[in-house]
Amino acid sequence: MANKWEVFVMDLGELAEGKELELTIRTLNDGLHKYTYQRAKVEVSSKLDQFPDSLQVRLGRGQLSDRKFSIRVIERVERMPARYL
Amino acid sequence: MGKISAPKSNREFIEACVKSGDAVRIKQEVDWDNEAGAIVRRVCELGEAAPFMENIKDYPGFSYFGAPLSTYRRMAIALGMDPASTLPQIGAEYLKRTNSEPIAPVVIDKRDAPCKENILLGDDVDLCKLPVPLVHDGDGGRYVGTWHGVITKHPVRGDVNWGMYRQMMWDGRTMSGAVFPFSDLGKTLTDYYLPRGEGCPFATAIGLSPLAAMAACAPSPIPEPELCGMLSGEAVRLVKCETNDLEVPADAEIIIEGVILPDYKVEEGPFGEYTGYRTSPRDFRVTFRVDAITYRNNATMTISNMGVPQDEGQLLRSFSLGLELEKLLKSQGIPVTGVYMHPRSTHHMMIVGVKPTYAGIAMQIAQLAFGSKLGPWFHMVMVVDDQTDIFNWDEVYHAFCTRCNPERGIHVFKNTTGTALYPHATPHDRKYSIGSQVLFDCLWPVDWDKTNDVPTLVSFKNVYPKNIQERVLNSWADYGFRGAKK
Repeated sequence: MANKWEVFVMDLGELAEGKELELTIRTLNDGLHKYTYQRAKVEVSSKLDQFPDSLQVRLGRGQLSDRKFSIRVIERVERMPARYL
Repeated sequence: MGKISAPKSNREFIEACVKSGDAVRIKQEVDWDNEAGAIVRRVCELGEAAPFMENIKDYPGFSYFGAPLSTYRRMAIALGMDPASTLPQIGAEYLKRTNSEPIAPVVIDKRDAPCKENILLGDDVDLCKLPVPLVHDGDGGRYVGTWHGVITKHPVRGDVNWGMYRQMMWDGRTMSGAVFPFSDLGKTLTDYYLPRGEGCPFATAIGLSPLAAMAACAPSPIPEPELCGMLSGEAVRLVKCETNDLEVPADAEIIIEGVILPDYKVEEGPFGEYTGYRTSPRDFRVTFRVDAITYRNNATMTISNMGVPQDEGQLLRSFSLGLELEKLLKSQGIPVTGVYMHPRSTHHMMIVGVKPTYAGIAMQIAQLAFGSKLGPWFHMVMVVDDQTDIFNWDEVYHAFCTRCNPERGIHVFKNTTGTALYPHATPHDRKYSIGSQVLFDCLWPVDWDKTNDVPTLVSFKNVYPKNIQERVLNSWADYGFRGAKK
């Protein structure tokens, strides 16, 4: 089943297409872990059928953007120092 | 001081509120994802009874108590007073209790502590096991801490701080929050932990007794555990944490223990706040790593939904900020007759009544107010004379519009300390907690001749002889008017 993700950006220009990005994204999948975050390497596309998962975008004050994207999560990235894990 | 009979726990408080009609039990299932938040928000905007939501989707056994102190009636119940008590009565009681002798807390055995009924350690720790709500649609995350106390201790001075610093769930083991640099915790971090690169132990207590929450919210110089004891008239029961040496209220519903990271931050926000706005965007903020969760059986999570007036963020902070300023001004010998913050000012305007006995008294009040620990939380001080009823906005507004000289009565203080939450501040000012403040001096100048220079207030109670006033009042109904005789 395709996953649903959300990202907060100040400017839609942060979601450049055609290259690998590192973003903090949160899951919108139903369940106890909904709205929890992870850091991940991703690719995004404004073509909604480009990648299997969907990405919803919110702006700086939580406003929901009209722009929708598809997203491929390449891999999870752990930035927290290992001593705290 | 007589025996105080105040609720000792969140549960006793809910029971008292239900009994008086100031809380309603909601039996039907409520979704933690927006629905609970929407209920609490509407309750705040309508001044309704507090919702006790007993059936939370996905979280059997847990419940929510929303808008715990968003009315003066519930504040009176929290203090063990008649719910119908007036604001001046509640304020007088707060001043009486907080001017009494401090009451030290007692530490009890873990076996007697309700908050230890369930203990999650190691791999079992997961914040998602708690019914953390999404309070407002569009918030940066689910907020664990909206009505709670973050407990820390300065390792050298030994000062214990219970503070209400908002906390967002980032993932199952990580929270992030807004901690201003001028706050007690902010100063402890910058003074000790951050320069040393050491983690700061913390404990978040949720579902506190209402007076413990009041203490955590009050900008008082008295340590919160003692302040809580003074407010409730007896020692607060504490118990030691599982993973650090902090002591937490034993009767709290949920305890989250961990470490504030000195060298790593995750994103936090945006979040709807007491100003009525989501002001600041998300940013990398103070990060809390969780080591343990303990909670009572059938734990109740408290939710404050801040937004437009009025919620407890405005009501309680206005109440305690005003009264703490009154104590400060009186301690300096200033002849204040009262201090009041209207909650609808979102605790931004302090109204001070004073006997104008010497020149510059309004400026002295403003300098003390803005220069104190309370100062960053408000940016307007309005000083009126002792003939103006500070609780009556019509009178205050009239005094402001007619006595505040645009040239001599308005004094702007620049480059002061402000909060990142001020909607009117620039993004730069918010980022660095840079503030500006203003005094509205609504006093007649002392060098005006009281007979020939000071205008006469033309009102029913001021210009007519007493016997005429009484005759008119007593004949009011006979004239054909309706309404109470006042």
